[in-house]
Amino acid sequence: MQYTLLITGSPYQTKACHTALRFAKAALKKYPESIRGVFFYEDAVLIGNNLSQPPRDEINLLKEWQSLSEQHNTPLYLCIAAAVRRGILSESESKRYESKQHSLADHFQLEGLGTLIDLMNSTNKVIQFR
Amino acid sequence: MTHTLIHLSSSPYSSLSCKEGLDLALVLATFEQPVDLCLSGAALALLVSNQAPLPEHGKNLHKLLDGLEMYDIENIYIEAGKLEIESGKAWSGVTELDKAQWAKLFSNYQQVFRF
Repeated sequence: MQYTLLITGSPYQTKACHTALRFAKAALKKYPESIRGVFFYEDAVLIGNNLSQPPRDEINLLKEWQSLSEQHNTPLYLCIAAAVRRGILSESESKRYESKQHSLADHFQLEGLGTLIDLMNSTNKVIQFR
Repeated sequence: MTHTLIHLSSSPYSSLSCKEGLDLALVLATFEQPVDLCLSGAALALLVSNQAPLPEHGKNLHKLLDGLEMYDIENIYIEAGKLEIESGKAWSGVTELDKAQWAKLFSNYQQVFRF
């Protein structure tokens, strides 16, 4: 069984990113190939902001996702339209918008919704966290 | 091919949820994936005619409804009796389901995403 995770809940207003992380860790621990990809949409794309600095005595959710991706080679996709409108820009998008800054964290990729559809069609189940 | 239901339940103007749910429906349809819509709760406001949102409110999402057919999105469901306005004052392209049909709707799809 391979899953795609679709996360739509804000990392600040909901526990969607936290719950999905726990699910992914548990699934990958038992079945290392079980998560085909994680697609962040709506306010969940805020997770990919490299400039966010949580208080030191709280979980660093960005680092947790980066570490999971590194350990298990799990792709982390942010919807490009949702991310760019919220100020999450890769270096190339930053140039395209003639901005001097870029804010996309390592291990995250900006992709269109077509990538989510590819994932939907190539995995057994999509689970939404909102 | 998976058949997807996009369930809109957020207000069209209090957040981007409704818009981003519709965006996903349009992209699914563009990729020739069968997709239906259903609306409940605050999202029912999307159906009210004569909307004139200001730029601060966001895009006029009501205007998108007439274009759904061009994307082959032909099934837009609501639960009967939930849209509490006169029928002439709402978009007419919806199919009303009774309580039992509405409850069964969600098990007819391989994917259900809620916005």
